[in-house]
Amino acid sequence: MATKKKRTQSAHTDSWVVMAADSAIDTQKDDSDPAFVRLRNPSTDAASLYLLGSGDVQLFEVKVFEEEFHSWFVGQTVQRDGRLMFVTPMDPLYLILPYLIKSDKEGKFQPMDQVVMDEEFPACSRLLSCTCSLTSLHHVAEEKEVGDLKFHRYSQEKTLNWLKRKVERTVTALKKRHISVGEGVKSSTYVRVKSESDYNEEDYLRYAHGLISEYISEDLSKALLSHLQLPELTSPKETEPPSKKRKLSDNPVEAGEDYTKFNSADFTRKPPKKMTTAQKTLAKVDKSGMKPMSSFFSPKVKAENK
Amino acid sequence: MDLSHFDSNNSVSCRLASQVPDVCRTEDCCLGIDEAGRGPVLGPMVYGICFCPVSKKGELKDLKVADSKTLTEEERENLFEKIDEANSFVGWALQILSPNTISTSMLQRTKYNLNALSHDTAIGLVQYALDSGVQLKEVFVDTVGPAEKYEDKLSKLFPGIEVTVRPKADSLFPVVSAASICAKVARDRAVKGWNFQEDLGEVDADYGSGYPGDPKTKAWLQKYLDPVFGYPQFVRFSWSTAKILMDNKGVAVHWDDDEEDGEKAAQRKNNKSMLSYFSASAGGNTQNPTPQTHRFFTERRLKNLDTL
Repeated sequence: MATKKKRTQSAHTDSWVVMAADSAIDTQKDDSDPAFVRLRNPSTDAASLYLLGSGDVQLFEVKVFEEEFHSWFVGQTVQRDGRLMFVTPMDPLYLILPYLIKSDKEGKFQPMDQVVMDEEFPACSRLLSCTCSLTSLHHVAEEKEVGDLKFHRYSQEKTLNWLKRKVERTVTALKKRHISVGEGVKSSTYVRVKSESDYNEEDYLRYAHGLISEYISEDLSKALLSHLQLPELTSPKETEPPSKKRKLSDNPVEAGEDYTKFNSADFTRKPPKKMTTAQKTLAKVDKSGMKPMSSFFSPKVKAENK
Repeated sequence: MDLSHFDSNNSVSCRLASQVPDVCRTEDCCLGIDEAGRGPVLGPMVYGICFCPVSKKGELKDLKVADSKTLTEEERENLFEKIDEANSFVGWALQILSPNTISTSMLQRTKYNLNALSHDTAIGLVQYALDSGVQLKEVFVDTVGPAEKYEDKLSKLFPGIEVTVRPKADSLFPVVSAASICAKVARDRAVKGWNFQEDLGEVDADYGSGYPGDPKTKAWLQKYLDPVFGYPQFVRFSWSTAKILMDNKGVAVHWDDDEEDGEKAAQRKNNKSMLSYFSASAGGNTQNPTPQTHRFFTERRLKNLDTL
């Protein structure tokens, strides 16, 4: 999509159209403005944009709606990019988790401010000041308190249980919002007549697992899949609906016609039937100099040479 | 002719009509159809019908109606007054197609060309006469496109009416001449007093004839080109004159039904060349190494951002 990228880059302006909760841009509680920060995306391991609001107390993720052929009219100006940004609350634990997992290789209890460090994304330490960060660490790590200091060590078991609960909550949300999770429906605007009860629980679990996997590493996603006792899909074909009608009976399938007889030794071609008078007269016609019918369907090589 | 209704909203199509004379409801009538303002890049296209009893054809001739193109504007105005005064036996009706109607028809997703629009307007007016109780027996039309095809189409639509489609019908049949005068007068009046819906301040009304070849029209189009919006609704956007100017001087606007060069479009849509499926290396390269975003997001066109 090289051209697309070019287009959006040249369209960068100083203004964006953003949908955000009031709490995200609230500056009254403390004087600090909400700030966009680049942090390591736990799923892709690359940079993604996030927003820290109310003096780093709240974390928001930034998603952008982007489709070709859109522009904005904003007041008396035209904005070339038709992007719509969404700033939505996010659990900071997702972003802290990769650092915990990484430090777990040392297998020690460590203070969090030593764990959450990243030369590439120095802003990551600000994640620890989010309200629910330190208080919810027990979902994914074991804790030890020595005097005033707290030490943490990553626990996969705890993490998987925590993620499982996330998946379950996502399933509830999916059902409430009537989001079609079944295979085959690829359009979100296509309203299904079928009620949600037509989807089985596994469809929901798999869909929710996929959604949560957008926020965790691939390894963790696989571990979660087995923790949810969902078999891994090996080939993409399995996700497609059966292309043919299922057979109605359990009887073994038999070929309608037996072609093997043509291969057997005793098969001999029947002698041609007697020709009609018309066919006989046609056969007598002088065909010298006539092109066979098939020559009219041969490739156009000759025509090009002319 | 009261154009105030059209002037109040000149972005849509509008119908004007005279009273239907009583004789037209009882006697066999003939009807002429003609149009004015087919070629100009500015202003509306007007379709006119005129009808009178077959027995009064001579009286219509006595009014000395002639092909509107051979008349001066003043002569046309006078003749229109005469036609309008002869309301004891002559009736007329007009359909004013605003330039905006023409633009949006021709430029919509499923293209609706000017000929189809013209035919449908003519048909609509004949239907109006029938609905008003005019005893139509003969219809005379100046052709749009191939005459035979058009005649066939109209004959099928209005069985029982004798349809004659002829090029130059406006100089052959007085009833078509009369229709052409009505149409032309309405068009002249609409263009002269054009009520710009846009807030343009004092608009320079010196736009000439409105035909693409007129230097005054060209100069006016140059002057009133807005880089973002193009033109006021007075201009037919679908005319190549307007299109070329907007392409050259306006901001590029891309629509999702724009036709693009095959290769470019394919690249933009991330299509693969058919040939790639036959090359030896294709098998290994088709797998996309980057992880797929969940369909919840792709279906909603949602993406992560890495910079503002």
